[in-house]
Amino acid sequence: MSTKHTCEQVDNEVSTTVNHTDTAPVHIQGNQMGLCLCPVCKKLNLTTNSNCRRCYSKLATRNYASVQQSWALLVTATILLVLANVYPITLLTNRGVVTNDTIFSGISHLVQTGMFPIAIIVFTASILVPWLKIFGLATYLAAISFNLPISKRKLMVGFHVIEWIGRWSMLDLFVISLTVALVNMGQLLDAKPAPAATAFALVILLTQLAAKVLDTRLLWDRLEKT
Amino acid sequence: MHELDDHDSIILCRSCDLAVRKRALPSSARALCPRCDTALYDAPYCSINGMLAMCVAALIIFIPANLLPVLEIHFLGSIRTTTVFEAAIAVWAQGYWVVGLAVMVAAVIAPAVLILSILTQVLIVKLKLQQSFWQRTYTSLLKNQGLIAQMTMLEIYVISFLVSAFQLSDFSDVYFGMGTFSFTMLFVIILFLQREYNLEHMWSFVDEH
Repeated sequence: MSTKHTCEQVDNEVSTTVNHTDTAPVHIQGNQMGLCLCPVCKKLNLTTNSNCRRCYSKLATRNYASVQQSWALLVTATILLVLANVYPITLLTNRGVVTNDTIFSGISHLVQTGMFPIAIIVFTASILVPWLKIFGLATYLAAISFNLPISKRKLMVGFHVIEWIGRWSMLDLFVISLTVALVNMGQLLDAKPAPAATAFALVILLTQLAAKVLDTRLLWDRLEKT
Repeated sequence: MHELDDHDSIILCRSCDLAVRKRALPSSARALCPRCDTALYDAPYCSINGMLAMCVAALIIFIPANLLPVLEIHFLGSIRTTTVFEAAIAVWAQGYWVVGLAVMVAAVIAPAVLILSILTQVLIVKLKLQQSFWQRTYTSLLKNQGLIAQMTMLEIYVISFLVSAFQLSDFSDVYFGMGTFSFTMLFVIILFLQREYNLEHMWSFVDEH
């Protein structure tokens, strides 16, 4: 795509116009120039102003507490994700026989009946994505908290992937709600949600919040020496 | 304030705070942050009339999408149907209100609010409503736009039709109806509406006065 092309030109222009004395392309943080973005409407503002000149929201250059908030949400989400995987997520009654299905046993049932494409979709949405999200966010937060030497660019790409893909975990909850609404024929055939469903819903909410609340600029404030 | 006007061509990356000089872009190109690859801005591609048309279409299709059943199963002679709304209520009625609320917000409430919000914004811009009431409404709608867009999950719901249909076909006959079609069309219209919509461009109408 033509996207890469434009970004390099943007980069060149920045390094020549902003820092006249320095010939080498230096990356300058907006913070050092006395500029900041409005946290609500993303309008450019002076850091000395207290409110945004466009939407009058309160300005803050960095949200330092966001790392702690994000850690707290992430730890809670991890505990809930363990519960969501251990406890049954649906309760199926088939001709009087009651079976408890966990997330994993539901997927292995799909594999046994030969529905591989659906099994892969459900596996990705319910197991792979939540765990990837938690490990990814933990790596990102650890890189900020402990100054780990991981490529910041790669971390940022990973963060955007996590932000985008995280929503897809909702798939499992939609499927459960459709199944519960349709399959209600008493002892003959009946599906009901089970405790893990609530835990799973909270995992999605908390991990999305953890990603949303985090101020990613904190990672980039420590400029790389190389 | 005059200091800021010197900086009007500079923008800051919202992910890493790098100062970047803004330049004109050809349409369909997107400027990425040279340091962290976050999308910075794209060429304004935000037709007010086009969005108005899509809002009206989305509002009309929203009614059958939520009133007609989206899935139907036949099992030993008995027929069960459900709409998106009933599916959310069914989980809620079992005591799992967290799950029910999540489904309801993502599939019914957020899309409705999204359509109404964009429709109001478009009408305010198109009819040039300058009274402070409308301007305040406009600003507060724009402030919440990102959150509402994030909570709208129609694309995931459409995939969940397929997953449920395959899972249920294990022990019953599954049928799709007009509701499924309407819901899928609602998803397609909102997808194009969100592609057309550009938050930064909508904010620029506030800058003008």
